Amino acid sequence: MHKKAYLFGSVFLILSLIGPAAADVGPTYAVKNAKIVPVIGPPIDKGVLIIRNGLIEAVGLLDKVAIPEDAEVIDADGLIAYPGLISTHTNLFLEVARPATGQGSPEFTAQQALVQDRPAETPELCVFKLIKPSKAAIDSFLKIGVTTVLVAPNRGIIQGQSVLLNLNGEKAEPMVLKNPVALHINFTTARGTYPSSLMGTIAFLRQSFLDAEYYAASQAQYAKILKGMKRPEYDPFLEALVPFVTEKKPVIFQCNNLEDIKRALKIIEEFKLNALLSHANEAWRDAAILKKTPIPLLVTLDFRPPNSSQYVNQGADLRKKAEAEIYPANAANLAKEGIKFALTTFGLNDGAAVLKNIQAAIRAGLPKDEALRALTIQPAQYLGLSQQLGSLEPGKIANVILTKGALFDEKTQVDKVFVDGVLWKF
Amino acid sequence: MNKIVKKLLIRAIGLALVVLPAYTAGGSVLIKNGTILTVTKGVVAKGDLLVINGLIKEIGENIAAPKGIKVIDASGKYVIPGIIDSHTHIALAGTNEGSEAITPEADVGEVVNADDVSILTALSGGVTMAHTMHGSANPIGGPNVVLKMKWGKPSEDLIVHEALKTLKFALGENVKQSSRTITVGGPPPRYPQTRMGTNAIIRREMLKARAYRKEWDRYNKLKAFKTPPKNLLPPRKDLRMEALSDLLEGKMVARCHDYQATEALEFLGLAKEFGFKVQALEHAWEAYKIADELAAAKVGISVFADSWAYKMEAAEGIAYDAGYCAKKGVLVSINSDSAERIRRLFNDASKTMKYGGLTENEALSLITINPAIQLGVEKIVGSLEVGKQGDIAIFNEHPMSAYTRCEMTIIEGDVYFDRAQYLKDREEAAKKAEAPKKGGRS
Repeated sequence: MHKKAYLFGSVFLILSLIGPAAADVGPTYAVKNAKIVPVIGPPIDKGVLIIRNGLIEAVGLLDKVAIPEDAEVIDADGLIAYPGLISTHTNLFLEVARPATGQGSPEFTAQQALVQDRPAETPELCVFKLIKPSKAAIDSFLKIGVTTVLVAPNRGIIQGQSVLLNLNGEKAEPMVLKNPVALHINFTTARGTYPSSLMGTIAFLRQSFLDAEYYAASQAQYAKILKGMKRPEYDPFLEALVPFVTEKKPVIFQCNNLEDIKRALKIIEEFKLNALLSHANEAWRDAAILKKTPIPLLVTLDFRPPNSSQYVNQGADLRKKAEAEIYPANAANLAKEGIKFALTTFGLNDGAAVLKNIQAAIRAGLPKDEALRALTIQPAQYLGLSQQLGSLEPGKIANVILTKGALFDEKTQVDKVFVDGVLWKF
Repeated sequence: MNKIVKKLLIRAIGLALVVLPAYTAGGSVLIKNGTILTVTKGVVAKGDLLVINGLIKEIGENIAAPKGIKVIDASGKYVIPGIIDSHTHIALAGTNEGSEAITPEADVGEVVNADDVSILTALSGGVTMAHTMHGSANPIGGPNVVLKMKWGKPSEDLIVHEALKTLKFALGENVKQSSRTITVGGPPPRYPQTRMGTNAIIRREMLKARAYRKEWDRYNKLKAFKTPPKNLLPPRKDLRMEALSDLLEGKMVARCHDYQATEALEFLGLAKEFGFKVQALEHAWEAYKIADELAAAKVGISVFADSWAYKMEAAEGIAYDAGYCAKKGVLVSINSDSAERIRRLFNDASKTMKYGGLTENEALSLITINPAIQLGVEKIVGSLEVGKQGDIAIFNEHPMSAYTRCEMTIIEGDVYFDRAQYLKDREEAAKKAEAPKKGGRS
């Protein structure tokens, strides 16, 4: 015990010396008497969870896990412990719009002059540079138990690269779990410039990936020869795209309707991309095609039908019903088909609305444990972070929530939230 | 289709538009005792037509119904081939890539929207197939797509792969107007702003495509050498040029929007110079002035029936355009270019009997076998013949009568539109929609 205290002391000392570069680790906690739902493995009725140095040190039965002397004991009798929830697609903290790149802006003219027939798209953009974390937004998500969010850029077609954040404070750097995470692509159009139509966008995406392949091949050949070959012209746009076609870094396609899912699958197949499909709230309309592919699905809890849907153009009544009954059954239908997916909060910026929609999805037939997995271990696996996130296991990041009542139930309240081992104060 | 969805759909206030037909791959049906207008093989006065697994098996009299087959009584009714619209823009998520003048890489086949209720509208007018096209904002727009009106089926099942691959061109005012900045913040002004510019830019692009092909030919030749040159790198693959190469190599054919005779002839000149095939001219209001040239060059036209002079460049359009050209040996089709006119193409076709003196069968050809030939699908649809696909429309009167109405539309042996059933469903939907409101808002 002495030794441990000493160790803890030195860790504390080092941390205070190097300043707030890493997240504040907080004291050591022993959460006891809680029911523990680790997600991986069976629940523990009365257990102990030790949190130290931002990590889960131990999880187990009350009589099997010793409570360290230096620990602050939290009696969680009547509470249930779950891993913090993960939302794999959000646009949080992006209140400040990206500088306009439409027609008339200096960027637009410069880009157009540089490369003809190419819109001012920004695959090189790391959204981390743009985020402005706010306590209100963090509170709103922590209150429903979401501790981890993927923040993606939200402008343009080839939008840039996302960052994965632990909601541990208002300072951006200590929040970062992974940066960059993936390149984000949306099937939308450019304003006032090419491509102004969806079919143009699809052609533009194809041409961009073709060009990236060609650019990579030319650069590789030049690197081999050097002498006697004219150097290929430098192109920052393609330079940024190359790792996604050659090294197969992940690409996330935002699929706003069923057709976008098919479009994305075609492009993924064509360029052998390592891709994930996001949004996908019309995935239920063709489960067969999703059954055939191993490509991960990041399904949004936003139930508003897309404008292309036959449910939106035939009167307000049908549209309302679609939003209240048909689209909430998306996840339930996928689960019934045995299709794996993660749930996201994409399109919803308010925690309360997210919770309401999780409950609606469960009412529509999504089993509660599937909902939990889709917000914990499944996204952790999709992000390649199943060693660090997604369950309550020793050695994992201490993102833990304590709830009064079973998670997602109507009257359940999130009582306490630990992010990176720090007890959050609302 | 899950139950909730179905329930909801039926509730759709007074519309009941989205009730989807039950589908089994390649249907079978026996239509009995109808007047069968085959279009290509004459009329069977009181005949039967048997479709097995989507294909027409037999046309004749007193055909015995195979066991378990759906039998439709067409007594007193007219059975015709499914109507084909040679030029429309329905069922698409976007029609024009208008930001630039030359966009043959932008393929409407990539943005088919099977949810578009216009498909059902088309079915209600006996239409079973439509050539749904890129818009006319650009001198070179993009590839078009041929769709079957299989309402309720996924988008990929609508596409007719047997059809010719066609590329949309456009001349005249639409291109010019699209080149101007009309709204503040709208697209920037664009070349070309004139008809001569339109011709010049198409020529310029064709020259580019020719050079592009040459570059690839050179590469392929070098690559085929026993010892290819060291460090041989292929040329950059350019989707825009690839599409034009396909045109130059005959893998695609041109469909060109034009109004005036002069621009049409100029375009045919370009086709001759670069060796590409013009399958048809769209709208072609002044085709009657160059009917001999069109017939000689085997260039078809796809036109409106009688809506002439609605803008300056249509000022010399005449209602006799279609009929006159057809008599001169030009392959003519009547198109809708619209999600509304598509449901009354038979009315439009019949106008050629008054303006142009076509026979009933010639008039009917303009919306059946002729568009089928223009789309390269005459071997599978366009007329009622044994072996062709069972795409059929049933009318209560002769389809060229002013009093006619489409009663039923069948695609590959499956009923996709049944007026009687549809009206019944609509009535029930209206009743159901009324019911919950009684206790509530009223």
